[in-house]
Amino acid sequence: MATKPTVAPSLLFPRDIFAALSPSPFLLAHLSPQTQDTPPIRPNGRTAAEFRKPTINTSSLTHCSGSAVVRLGDTAVVCGVRAEILLASDIPNPPASNPTIRSSNPSNTTTNGDEDDATEVSSLSLLVPNIELATGSAPTHLPGSPPSALAQSLTSRIRSLLLSTCLVRAHSLRITYCPPPVTSDPEIPDAPPEEEVKAYWTLYIDTMFISLDGNAFDAAWAAVVAALRDTRLPKAWWDEDLERILCSDVVGESRNLELNGLPVAATFAVFAPNGGLGIVQDDEEEEKAWVLSDPDAFEEGLCLEAVTVTVDCTGRNSRIRRIEKNGGGLIGRELMKSVARRAEERWKEWSAILEKGNT
Amino acid sequence: MADRRRINAPSGGTSAPIFASTVVKNPKFLQSLRPTRTRQPDQLRKIFLKTGLTPSASGSAYLEIPLLLPTTAQSLIPSRSSLKLTCAVHGPKPLPRSAPFSPHLLLTTTVKFAPFAARARRGYIRDSSERDLGVHLETALRGVVIGERWPKSGVDVIVTVIEGEEDGWWGDDITAGANKGGGWGLMSVLAGCITVASAAIADAGIDCVDLVTGGVAAIVRNPDAKGKGRDDGNGEDSYTVLDPCPAEHQEIIATCVVGYLAGRDEITELWVKGEPGATTEKLVDRAVHAASATATVLREVVKEAVELKYRDVIGGLNGGLKASTFSSEVEMAG
Repeated sequence: MATKPTVAPSLLFPRDIFAALSPSPFLLAHLSPQTQDTPPIRPNGRTAAEFRKPTINTSSLTHCSGSAVVRLGDTAVVCGVRAEILLASDIPNPPASNPTIRSSNPSNTTTNGDEDDATEVSSLSLLVPNIELATGSAPTHLPGSPPSALAQSLTSRIRSLLLSTCLVRAHSLRITYCPPPVTSDPEIPDAPPEEEVKAYWTLYIDTMFISLDGNAFDAAWAAVVAALRDTRLPKAWWDEDLERILCSDVVGESRNLELNGLPVAATFAVFAPNGGLGIVQDDEEEEKAWVLSDPDAFEEGLCLEAVTVTVDCTGRNSRIRRIEKNGGGLIGRELMKSVARRAEERWKEWSAILEKGNT
Repeated sequence: MADRRRINAPSGGTSAPIFASTVVKNPKFLQSLRPTRTRQPDQLRKIFLKTGLTPSASGSAYLEIPLLLPTTAQSLIPSRSSLKLTCAVHGPKPLPRSAPFSPHLLLTTTVKFAPFAARARRGYIRDSSERDLGVHLETALRGVVIGERWPKSGVDVIVTVIEGEEDGWWGDDITAGANKGGGWGLMSVLAGCITVASAAIADAGIDCVDLVTGGVAAIVRNPDAKGKGRDDGNGEDSYTVLDPCPAEHQEIIATCVVGYLAGRDEITELWVKGEPGATTEKLVDRAVHAASATATVLREVVKEAVELKYRDVIGGLNGGLKASTFSSEVEMAG
């Protein structure tokens, strides 16, 4: 390294070589403190429960309805939301339930409305999230090959979370048209003109990783949420003479996308050097394991078990929107509670930054 | 053909929103939105260049040509585009065992536009123009990197276009329908790619004979703006500009991109598009001029990055004993 101009004869390895040669004992040595009063510090200088501080920058892309750049330590993500129009007449197999009935009640925000929203948005695939890792963001993700397993799983996780949280309401994506009342026919009593859905806004949510250093999901999800919060849809209407959808380019007439709550994802990795099955042998001392918040790429490579908790504390009481867990059995009921509490703390941090980013 | 590894658009197909103000047949209003060049013909746009954006890569750089005037957000139609490029360099690293022996460094270049890079949404699968840019970039870099120093190894240069230059003014696409000629924006993108890749290669510490930079010059014709520029004798009202922004010109006759080594006065890449006629040589000269102007920026940036990287060493050389405070305890134990 450049920091060592003179090579001193040494019996010990420098830090980075030790980390590369035997990563697991390296991390273990960092986490098990030598003395009682020193807290365990991870190699990246954080304590086990410490997250990286995020930064957000919104509205930086010209050709997007909404965009965000999120930085989480050495992980950097750009997300752009583009709104395009899907004509209702172009939908090959319209959903079985008639959307015209529900559109007459756009302020339907009750819980059963959530389910309808999700089916409508997913069956029409109005949200098209995609994640690109092959931008040179990490040496393992190089272009020239189809999207890696990580990219595919991230994309599908983001999509299912978008749908299950009902983050984007279906009624905010509809473009409705109210035909003028027909007065020429005196036979029919003045039936109220029925509002019909002429088109839908389709949101293309493209996320590009600029740099990847662990915890891709949290960063990508935060970028998606921040970009959606930043999205402005122009005022759109059905023009009868031209028979097409027209939009107004006046900023004052456009509206922000109505979002349902503010779900925030927090990922934890479990470092268990002795296997991590959660089984304690009688003759051995208690199995040691650490739950590391917001793991970086080095830690992710050593941890088998990972938990992602998505919480939303916008209302009076916080709600867990999703728990994803794989790779081990160390986090049981008791530990899960403390993990959820850590996720709640993280929500406060994110929400403060997301609010600030939009002003 | 659906891409089964990605989430696809609705099967009905979507279209970009059409704004009412552009549909109403009012060409005068539309023309009033047309941007014009406010720079001198030989004045370049300001460049923002930064290295070390991707810590997980061996070397990286970010280049942006910001908009001169912050657009007042009165309209949702983006008035013009700014150029934003990121570049990551991975390597030099050993070639896979299956690869045949190579006595020099194998260079792989990839240029990819983000889906939101342009006014029309782009796909994830590389198209022909992106491949073309990749080949041009490889040509520009091949003559610069000293490949003999790394036998049996390869290096990947990946440029992502977050926002690209446009091929022309958006209003022309609406009024004229078909775009005339087209592809002018790619020239500025290529020049940016060369400069940003050069910065990233320097950041990665790969040996080069010199820093290569990209430069663009164009012969343009503005029927409305007579006498604004120098007459080059090519036509009555055509003149040469450096670093053209295609949206600002009603008609572009020819464009030239060079990859230029300012220190050695060498050209590694030359791409001329259009019909420059007898003034080709002059056009190349102007492009070289643009490239050498960019080189001063690139040199400053690389120098700053090196100073930052080796601050400890420099401090140690100047301050003597001060350097020992920087070395870690592990070393001192030996």
